[in-house]
Amino acid sequence: MKHPIYTTFGALLVVLLVVAEVRGWTPMRPTEVKNIPRSIRDNPGAYRPHYRTFFGSGHYMRGK
Amino acid sequence: MSAPAVASLTCPQCGSAIELRTLDQALSVVCASCGSILDARDPNLHVLQEFKARQKFTPQIPLGTRGTLKGEKWEVVGYQVRGATIDGATYYWEEYLLFNPYKGFRYLTQYDGHWNDVQVLKAAPDETMSGGRPVVTLHGETFKHFQTATAETYFVLGEFPWQVRVGDRATASDFVAPPRMLSKEKTDEETTWSLGTYTPAAQIWSAFGLPGEPPHARGVYANQPDEFVSRAGSMAKRYLLFVAVIAAIVFIRLVTASRETVFATNAQFFRPGAPADSLAFVTPSFTLRGRTTDLEVTTEAQVDNGWAYFEYALVNEQTGTTYEFGREVSYYYGRDEDGNWSEGSRRDHALLPSVPAGQYFLRVAPEAQVPTPFLEYRIVVRRDVPTYTPYLIALALLALPPILVGLRAWGMESARWKESDYSSSGGDDDDDDE
Repeated sequence: MKHPIYTTFGALLVVLLVVAEVRGWTPMRPTEVKNIPRSIRDNPGAYRPHYRTFFGSGHYMRGK
Repeated sequence: MSAPAVASLTCPQCGSAIELRTLDQALSVVCASCGSILDARDPNLHVLQEFKARQKFTPQIPLGTRGTLKGEKWEVVGYQVRGATIDGATYYWEEYLLFNPYKGFRYLTQYDGHWNDVQVLKAAPDETMSGGRPVVTLHGETFKHFQTATAETYFVLGEFPWQVRVGDRATASDFVAPPRMLSKEKTDEETTWSLGTYTPAAQIWSAFGLPGEPPHARGVYANQPDEFVSRAGSMAKRYLLFVAVIAAIVFIRLVTASRETVFATNAQFFRPGAPADSLAFVTPSFTLRGRTTDLEVTTEAQVDNGWAYFEYALVNEQTGTTYEFGREVSYYYGRDEDGNWSEGSRRDHALLPSVPAGQYFLRVAPEAQVPTPFLEYRIVVRRDVPTYTPYLIALALLALPPILVGLRAWGMESARWKESDYSSSGGDDDDDDE
């Protein structure tokens, strides 16, 4: 077989793509949190996310 | 080859013993002791040329060494050092004359550790021009002109089937088709063509049972085979095969992806600038059915020269597992001295990986800064949506090895032709600069 390392690498990549499709993998990595309290439905404003997109004041900072 | 037949003679110049290995085929023989070149056909060994070499060279394969090269037995009977002066610098190479009483003569040449197995051609190949450069064709194979220079003999040892002289000059032209090289040597009397085949030094060492390791080859020789060229070609073919396989997977994915809309909310309004917490809300429940798959959350907001930020939490009602993420939608536009411009988009797609089946709702906390008092936005959630990103990454990764091998091949070809008459830094091209 020509280029055994490259062929193996490519075959593994193709297998990985198929597995990724079957499992629904995407490059995005959201913060996954377990056991969120059910009270979030009653008081969604009180919920605090666990990821950090806020700075200081607790508000998203963006401007043009 | 049976035991070598050797005739013993005496040098008329210094009295040293001379061995004649090629017997009646030798036209000249060199005394190893005093370096005089003698007429081998003359019973009195008439002196053709007294020692004239300015420098003495020692052959890497001693004269008289016998070996089996490419299945045939050969004995080293002659040695000469030749050189060509280019741009004031003289480049030397060695030529070993090999003899087999049944096969005749052949040569080994050596330059900077690069060896060639050379045979004289009985017929001249066809000479033509291609792309403004001379080419020759032999047995259907085209050889490109590499270099033409005046070759001069600087040192001789052993015996030769021609009347050799130190100082002999010939116009030598090399044509290459790696691993082969055609060489044309032209003197006032004759034109000789020979075909050389690049031979690894280790093969020469093994063939003649030479001690130690051969000196490492330096640089890239004119007809040195470039394994990377063929490797890059076959690797590119393998890459195209992978492209076809991946294209097939993408096609299957595009056909089979359900793209099921599991939730959509339209025309929500809020007062921009208000704190996100006060505007947070949860959506009605929606159900994800089927296998674990990706989940696309599309956010579309009618922002004009402003931004909106949506803090999302996708909550599984049964397990309490939550996927948190934030998305920004911003769109700016205007006009300046270069004309109209715009930046950003009013639509954003987030693709959550591996979301299992279950009952879910979204907690949304919107925040915005726009010049209008209200903002209209829309959220759409779809499951099992195809994405091209992993395929593009895979194709890029797969392309890297062929590209690297191709670059290596290109580098070797550049180094090869740098030594030719067609180098940008020398040779024929110099004439253009003048």
